[in-house]
Amino acid sequence: MRMAGSIGLIALGLIVGSPPDCLGQNVPYERILHAQSEPQSWLTYSGSYFSEQYSPLKQINRQNVSNLKIAWMYQPSHPVANLESSPLVVDGVMYITEPPSTVTALDVRSGLRIWSYTPTLPEHIVSIGLYATSRGVAILDDMVYVGTADAHLIALDVKTGAVRWNVHVADNVMGYAMTGPPLALKNKIVVGIAGSEAAVRGFLDAYDSKTGKRLWRLWTTPRVGEPGAETWGNGAAESAGATTWNNGSYDADLNLIYWGTGNPAPDFNDDDRPGDNLYTCSLLAVDADTGKLKWYFQFSPHEDHDWDSDEPPVLFNAVIDGKPRRLVGFANRNGFYYVLDRVTGKFITGVPFVKQTWAKGLDASGRPIPAPNQEPTLGAGTLVYPSITGGVDWTSPSYSPQTGLFYVSAHETGAYFIKGTGKIEPGPPKGIVGGGGIRALVGEQSYGAIRALEATTGKLKWQFKLLAPAWVPVLSTAGGLVFCGSDEGNFFALDAETGKPLWDIQMGHAARSNPISYEVDGKQYIFVTAGNIYIAFTLP
Amino acid sequence: MGTIRVWIAVLACIISSSSVSASPHQDTKAAELSPEEFQKAKQTFETACSTCHGLDGGGAMGPNIQAIPFRLGVDQVTNVIQNGMPGGMPAFSSQLSAQQIQQIVDYLLTLTRKDEGKVTGDAAAGKQVYDASGCANCHTISGEGGDTGPELTTVGQSRGPNYLRNTILYPGTDLPQTRVFLESGGQLQFLFVRVQTKDGRTVEGTRVAEDSFHIVLEDAQGKFHSFRKEQLRELEKEPGKSTMPSMKGKLSDTQLNDLVAYLASLKGTP
Repeated sequence: MRMAGSIGLIALGLIVGSPPDCLGQNVPYERILHAQSEPQSWLTYSGSYFSEQYSPLKQINRQNVSNLKIAWMYQPSHPVANLESSPLVVDGVMYITEPPSTVTALDVRSGLRIWSYTPTLPEHIVSIGLYATSRGVAILDDMVYVGTADAHLIALDVKTGAVRWNVHVADNVMGYAMTGPPLALKNKIVVGIAGSEAAVRGFLDAYDSKTGKRLWRLWTTPRVGEPGAETWGNGAAESAGATTWNNGSYDADLNLIYWGTGNPAPDFNDDDRPGDNLYTCSLLAVDADTGKLKWYFQFSPHEDHDWDSDEPPVLFNAVIDGKPRRLVGFANRNGFYYVLDRVTGKFITGVPFVKQTWAKGLDASGRPIPAPNQEPTLGAGTLVYPSITGGVDWTSPSYSPQTGLFYVSAHETGAYFIKGTGKIEPGPPKGIVGGGGIRALVGEQSYGAIRALEATTGKLKWQFKLLAPAWVPVLSTAGGLVFCGSDEGNFFALDAETGKPLWDIQMGHAARSNPISYEVDGKQYIFVTAGNIYIAFTLP
Repeated sequence: MGTIRVWIAVLACIISSSSVSASPHQDTKAAELSPEEFQKAKQTFETACSTCHGLDGGGAMGPNIQAIPFRLGVDQVTNVIQNGMPGGMPAFSSQLSAQQIQQIVDYLLTLTRKDEGKVTGDAAAGKQVYDASGCANCHTISGEGGDTGPELTTVGQSRGPNYLRNTILYPGTDLPQTRVFLESGGQLQFLFVRVQTKDGRTVEGTRVAEDSFHIVLEDAQGKFHSFRKEQLRELEKEPGKSTMPSMKGKLSDTQLNDLVAYLASLKGTP
């Protein structure tokens, strides 16, 4: 346990003086489980346990979205160039993070700060291959939870920001860090970890939500003698990577957590790790009570292009061949869109959603059939599509149950991949392990697009082209809209059925965080970040 | 576009990202590295920087940083490497020694010079070629000249002689890749664009700025034109084309060598 950092309690009178049903902040598990039944709130990272990034609100719709105006803005105390934090909205209060690990509560009507908590961090935070950012918090009962840049998990009082508990999850000196939002389940907080480029060994943890006691840990690479060790040529003595640095999804009926894993280490030098390197670049289905692995699906066996699989998996139900199915959709960084049975993990379909050259296709089990000469090489390297940023990186896609479409911000670009020669060495990492890298295609050779795919087949329904590949998540709404942004700073609304642009604004910086929607006082808001600013939009 | 006017814009493409900047850092000097020092600096850069910025600094997950010391100055670049920058740049002070950070800065200073080559002409004579050719109508050197083309005050720092020579002869073959600083690797080349509006107007020029909904062009007269893309019937981009005509066959070998020597001598006015 550590001492609390600073707490700035501002405008406490706002809490005291407001109606009790407006600033209550008590979020039992059941509220999150049924999040879609209270669309005025945004209770978990992607809006629901299914990670749909979908709002059932429809006050803002195709007919009036062109009238959207800025309602209020908020800027962090310390300037930040690139906010990636997605807020939660509960009973009139918004909870955001400010990099590296500050948590702030805002009044959703005005944007005024209610409280702010900044943990005490080491003078030097080790952040190898990643930026010490924070993508948001989780909320459960009367506490807010944040993972910190130095790999602590901290529980805060929801009304004051006071520290309730603080646990050390992993050693930042060895390259472990936390950038992703926690996932709050019944009585437990599930967190992932970052640091594959520092050659840490990945894991997924669950903590008692009241006490901070660790309930279970699932290592995401095996050691000698464990299942999967045979997929590491060195006997898994040094298996590293498969970090879990984003958020996961949850099916309460199956009691399964779905969480993606990152690349193996070293990334661009695979000499010492022949084999599939389980469970890197995979989707894991994990028993929420025990932390045991129920099933896994590896998208990119023996990966060496930095194509993590850490995007939040999207859960949806649909009828396939006349039978209702529980499915998971995943637009992978390797360029393929996958549909899996989320009960069994069995592959149903997979199609490229961007140009890809590294695989001839997928076999009946979903395993890629490698194309020749697509590995990183020494010297000038090998031109491979997609680029290191993949078909899409970590930014969330969206699924609309209204349209049955899966919306993703796609990257159409390639890169020359150059093999590294470095190896994993004992002790604290001195930099990105392994070396190597890429030369990216630039200019008109690369572009982005918002693509609408039929969720069950991956078939392209429409696309809206962007100037550059955009690292911007997507939101769809019951108003028949898709909200997204460009890397050039545009934020815009498209018709969810056709992709026709209906409204746009130049914000001066890319929107890196998940756009979300909430309602207060009978008005729907669209909320997003632009560089250093949080912006709430609403109708006049 | 008038032929003479175009001809005068001889050096429109002899730019680097640095010289595009409104106020390039004139104190920034390219490092003079021995081959051994260069290799060490290159290795340090590739180990620490290339995953995000690409092996050539041209950008990947991080931005294009090829000319960053010329834009921001060595001190600020050193500070950013040491302490990171909000928005994705980690702090490296705990991972790299001061010597290694200096190596990275030195290496960055070499990246826009491309194929180095040697100066064989006479710089003083080259200035006469520059003046006689009317280059100053479009280019600024130390506060003097036009602004249609990029500023050349420090072009000798950021570009090597072979690049300068090649661009004079073949202006569109190696256009700078970052006129506007974008996060995702510098997507905006110094690009020639022709648009036709829905009401029938045709405008052509160099792209100054662009997002997914708008484009801004600068025509040969230096006028800016701003369009929403939905207003356009056609938007035609011509990568590899420049508003600057080739000087191939228009200058003697001696004049060309002298002009290269003059440009290579332009290293700012401290």
